[in-house]
Amino acid sequence: MLALRHARRAGSHTHARTFAAVSSSINPSGVGPFQVFDRNAKRLQKDRAVARDGGERSRTVDYVRNEVADRLMERFMDIKRKFETVLDLGSGAGHFSKLLEEDKAGKVTMLDLSGKMVERDPDSEFEVAVDRGVLDEEHLLQSIPPNSQEAIVSCLSLHWVNDLPGVLVQIREALKPDGVFIGALFGGDTLFELRTALQLAEVEREGGISPHVSPMANPRDMSNLMSRAGFTLLTVDVDEVRIGYPSMWELLDDLRDMGESNAIIGRRHFVPRDTLAAASAIYQQLHGEDAGVPATFQVIYMIGWKPAPNQPRPLERGSGDTNLKTVL
Amino acid sequence: MQPTARVASSTPLRRLAVHSTTTCAEQSVAYGKCIVATYTDVQKDSCKAEFEKFGACLREAVRVHAFLTCVQLL
Repeated sequence: MLALRHARRAGSHTHARTFAAVSSSINPSGVGPFQVFDRNAKRLQKDRAVARDGGERSRTVDYVRNEVADRLMERFMDIKRKFETVLDLGSGAGHFSKLLEEDKAGKVTMLDLSGKMVERDPDSEFEVAVDRGVLDEEHLLQSIPPNSQEAIVSCLSLHWVNDLPGVLVQIREALKPDGVFIGALFGGDTLFELRTALQLAEVEREGGISPHVSPMANPRDMSNLMSRAGFTLLTVDVDEVRIGYPSMWELLDDLRDMGESNAIIGRRHFVPRDTLAAASAIYQQLHGEDAGVPATFQVIYMIGWKPAPNQPRPLERGSGDTNLKTVL
Repeated sequence: MQPTARVASSTPLRRLAVHSTTTCAEQSVAYGKCIVATYTDVQKDSCKAEFEKFGACLREAVRVHAFLTCVQLL
């Protein structure tokens, strides 16, 4: 059985996994951004999530992404411009793209790490023409030429990217001058209830902790990252989506079906039963409400523009000809 | 979801979920309360006694479930 599993893995993917931590090739002595997430494991998790019950489970757990896509669309609609093409980066099954209307966009290109995820839903669910492709967000410029896009959208995929500043730079490069990037990603307070419950359980039962919930971007850092990547006219805001679950177990099931299981390099592949049961008890007591337990998803929304000469910009310092003193 | 329907679903982790939240709810609450009382300074085994009762209940529940499954199979 074991040999068979390995043979199948080796056949379908170029990286054969032996036992533990890393499923993609990572060169520890190479230069480059620090690797936190196992991108290959993430792709496998998403593929499997879509394959479960013929996609039924995956559709059931769309609620977080649909809600955030809806809120992101509100911000998108505030931009008074019609785009010929929109690039949906890390589109998932197209939660955002499905909301696009014909008077706003002519065509949308959906790109995702997981080919099965991007193909999940038929074209009939979209109002605008759809193009689909498989692309690792970390290597955007390998497939998308610079200065080619009018608008790039990313709805809840950038939290699995190792080099967030680098991806933001690539997005800015891929945009045409005066092109817009509008995105949503999970912020640092996401799933803090689960994080604390698992940490307390591991400390009390086993005497140590290991990473279960990803490190995520701090909302205060986002505007710095955006301006460092060369975007102008920034808007960054933070919002929360709180979902109630009967217990920790349903949350874990749904996270897995979303393809959002742990993909940190060096994660534990096995958590003892005792620790899980302890975490469930702690989650209930520490964060529980009458009818179950809450889970918080913190979402950072950001809008940035690629600089262009025709954009509004602040006037030269000292060029004002009205004295504020006389007005006030 | 009905507890009975959940007992019927049969993966080991599902059963653990049911037992830890429903069958052993009392012991689970006692353990959780112990942690919450000391959660700024939790050490290894600081709620050992409470967890042992919780764990014993879980093992008993799994055993009874296994027995019932066997009876049904007969």
